[in-house]
Amino acid sequence: MDWRAHQPLSRRAVLGGVARGALVTLALPPLQAMFDAGGRAYACDGILPKRFGIWFWGNGNLPDLWTPTGTGDGDAWQLSEQLAPLQVVKHRLCVVSGMKVHLANDAPHSSGAAGILCASPLQATGDDSTMSAPSIDQVIAEQVGGASIYRSIQTAASDCSGVSYNGPNSQNPPETDPYAFYARIFGDTFIEPGEKGKVSPTLGLRRSVLDGVMADIDRLNARLGSADKARLEQHLDGVRELEQRLAILEENPPNLEACERAPALKGDFSDLDGRPQVAARNEVMSTMLAMTLACDQTRVFGHYITDPVSDLLFPGASAGHHDLTHNEGGEQPEVHAITVGIMEMLATTIQKLEAIAEGDGTLLDNTVVLACSEVSLGQTHSIEEMPVILAGSGCGFFKQDHHHRSLSGDNVTKVLVSLQRAMDISVGEFGADEAMVDEGLSDIEA
Amino acid sequence: MLVLLALLACDPGPERAPVTRGEAPTVAPPAARLKRLTAVQYGNVMTDLFGDGVLLPSSLDPDQRIEGLFAVGSAYTTISSYGVEKYEGAAYDIAEQVMDDETLRATWVPCAPTALQDDACAEQALAALGRRAWRRPLATDELSALVSVSAEAAVALGDFHDGLEYGFAGILMSPNLLYRVELGDGVAYDDWELATRLSFFLWNTAPDEELLAAAERGELSTDEGLQAQVDRMLADPRAVEGVRNLFSEMLHLDELDDLSKDPTVYTYMSDALGASAREETLQGVQALVFDDDASYLDLYTTQRTFLDRTLAALYDVPAPEREGFGEVWLDEGQGRRGFFGQASFLALNAHAVSTSATRRGIFVREVVLCQVIPDPPADANTAIPEVSEDAATMRERIAVHLEDPFCASCHQLTDPIGLGFENFDGIGRWRTTENDATIDPSGELDGAAFQDAWTLAEAVADHPSTGPCLSRTVLQYATGAVADELDDDLEQWHAEGFGQAGHRVLWLMRDVALSPAFRGAGAPAEETAGDTGD
Repeated sequence: MDWRAHQPLSRRAVLGGVARGALVTLALPPLQAMFDAGGRAYACDGILPKRFGIWFWGNGNLPDLWTPTGTGDGDAWQLSEQLAPLQVVKHRLCVVSGMKVHLANDAPHSSGAAGILCASPLQATGDDSTMSAPSIDQVIAEQVGGASIYRSIQTAASDCSGVSYNGPNSQNPPETDPYAFYARIFGDTFIEPGEKGKVSPTLGLRRSVLDGVMADIDRLNARLGSADKARLEQHLDGVRELEQRLAILEENPPNLEACERAPALKGDFSDLDGRPQVAARNEVMSTMLAMTLACDQTRVFGHYITDPVSDLLFPGASAGHHDLTHNEGGEQPEVHAITVGIMEMLATTIQKLEAIAEGDGTLLDNTVVLACSEVSLGQTHSIEEMPVILAGSGCGFFKQDHHHRSLSGDNVTKVLVSLQRAMDISVGEFGADEAMVDEGLSDIEA
Repeated sequence: MLVLLALLACDPGPERAPVTRGEAPTVAPPAARLKRLTAVQYGNVMTDLFGDGVLLPSSLDPDQRIEGLFAVGSAYTTISSYGVEKYEGAAYDIAEQVMDDETLRATWVPCAPTALQDDACAEQALAALGRRAWRRPLATDELSALVSVSAEAAVALGDFHDGLEYGFAGILMSPNLLYRVELGDGVAYDDWELATRLSFFLWNTAPDEELLAAAERGELSTDEGLQAQVDRMLADPRAVEGVRNLFSEMLHLDELDDLSKDPTVYTYMSDALGASAREETLQGVQALVFDDDASYLDLYTTQRTFLDRTLAALYDVPAPEREGFGEVWLDEGQGRRGFFGQASFLALNAHAVSTSATRRGIFVREVVLCQVIPDPPADANTAIPEVSEDAATMRERIAVHLEDPFCASCHQLTDPIGLGFENFDGIGRWRTTENDATIDPSGELDGAAFQDAWTLAEAVADHPSTGPCLSRTVLQYATGAVADELDDDLEQWHAEGFGQAGHRVLWLMRDVALSPAFRGAGAPAEETAGDTGD
């Protein structure tokens, strides 16, 4: 093992780093191949990595105030009242309206989530239900996640569970604490490009221990039925991923040009008067997430404002969000204000991606973000008129400054197929039961 | 208390009516499944091994409820990539704490190494920790792998104990620790597996040395040996944690950590309320089960409770003289008694700014009576009228639930119960009016009329499903099985005994620990449509 060749680090410092949930030395991927002879990277020519992210919020929208006017490109369409905060990034959006989840809507909120995220119906475990298939972020991570340090990263702007699924009863929980997220990615041992990093001598030892864990899993596997085997396989994937990460750390490779340490966090993000500071948390999480992508820590992310059915008390609201979607009367001005506030947060995240120069353009050029929710009109748990916004072209794959409207309640799974194709994943049929499709949505592809 | 417990844990004494049910029916036991330790169990195990002072990870993969219980969910959940990362970090962090603490190190590494690499000393330490942490002796190849990684690290780092940390960490992040490996041979569990089942059921933590010794002697697979250990364990102070965790899972008390209430609506809301409310309920359970060995049904009707100053202010009763929790007897005139008069139930089953008769009713039906209330149809319009002169109270506002036949089919099961608690606001403060209109809390529960929450509590305690529901819940909690996997006759047999034994919780736990559904092992679970199919 080549750790012997390196200067030993203090073991205390190393384990202290582990104790705070941070990795010992920050992972730097082998990206030499990504630069041309002059060390300059080009965007969207297959050299810089493409990224995909889900940006999710709970409880939907008010479709009448949501749908843009006009369709097509540029000035042919205008943002709606609810989408108004996105004006600053309108030229980077592809808004899709009028599409629906083609599944039975038999479980409020959950059916819609299963449709928009997994394109498969729910399945039962006892009296409860769970996803029957992985969510789209994990489908994509399965194909593209192996090249980066983390297969995927999940973050949240409130204390929530997120909507990233590996399959039945198997979730990828997000980091909800900004400080913990900072420590995980940009901790003491983070090495910026150009810095001479030290490789910890303990990385090889940790890999040896993980070899033992994998042997334990193998021995156990031999005694299991198929149900537990599938669960343990998930665990094994996680152990393999960690071992790979340690191996990359040992190589101490150079990083992407745009990578730098995210600014140190300041401030207290705990609730104020019983109300979570969602916007402030979204802003710092988005800043760190953008740099996480720029440093090729991951190419797939899930970022969650709130969970499906969230009853979060937004600032200024007279009741919890979910409560309001059902019980606020009239035109639901409070629900509207909350949705507009969430779109302000989306604009913030998009701007953070756009603020990082990469190659000839920005990080956003090499990224596509699917912003969505589990329902449209929360009051009726409607899964028609699903809110879908794509931000960033995914290296020119998607039309920009575009509004596509389906007049026939087209199957929203088609968007998920297009997203996979944008990520260079060849896909034939995708989804299950009525949610299944065998084509993408060519109208939104450039 | 221990002497008292030792007596109570056994069969009913002469002062109680004997249990006269017949023999246990022969059943096919539920399928064997791996169970992931819950975050609480992981913490309990580490604290057992290394003491209260050990610093635990601040977060692990969240636990998931299935049919209301983490105990069932733990038989289905997986460990995520981030979870693996956290367990690994925690393993090194804890192993380092052990090596850094002189006393702890002396406990777990009793030998003095004779060289930088001393395999015999390492093996002795690793075998001892492995046996406790994995709840069984380690196989030769398992042990030699740990010895070898410790030696590699010792040489690399130039210190025997620094090297041994890697072996310890290997034990602490192993699937053999993180899952309860109870697989059986398709008929029965072996002694080691039974020890693990018993200790997590009765203590919510790993077996102690005495239980492992009994397993090693093969005593747990005999009736007498098993009974002796069950009685010992129920009389042990660790049973308190076992019972508290059972009720915490069943009553969703962990969710009190995330209580979201608008403090401008609820003057008595504070950051401390959730934790205080949980402690009130758990101290009440503890007193009922351990101090009094009283009927579980009393949980709903007792006038005794345990309050701190936060709760005493909320309930408007004199605070205990000292800091912390003190015993308080509630007067009938105050209208509040039993679990349904507690802030835990009342605040959890309400919205951020208002009560929810529907949610309170669902809780009673599903958690206390074990009935299943279907989700509303997804396309139901769930809006209720805003407060007006015609609809000042919650009863008036949700009248449509009961008038519209489409809604009423389910809401007639839930709302009339929940409306019985309307004298308590969304965090459990007593009130007699809402928007200046008098609250009418009367109603009917499956044929039993009640006037208010005080009499509703009695109707729930007297309901024929209340006792059997706890009996089923404990069976599920102990086995991790979903309800469909439990044999109906066996469920009934346990419920019958529980009733005859005066609904005493420790009696029930003992009965379930000796149950064929708990001792018998089904085949390892296969992925079939029946498992998870809709």
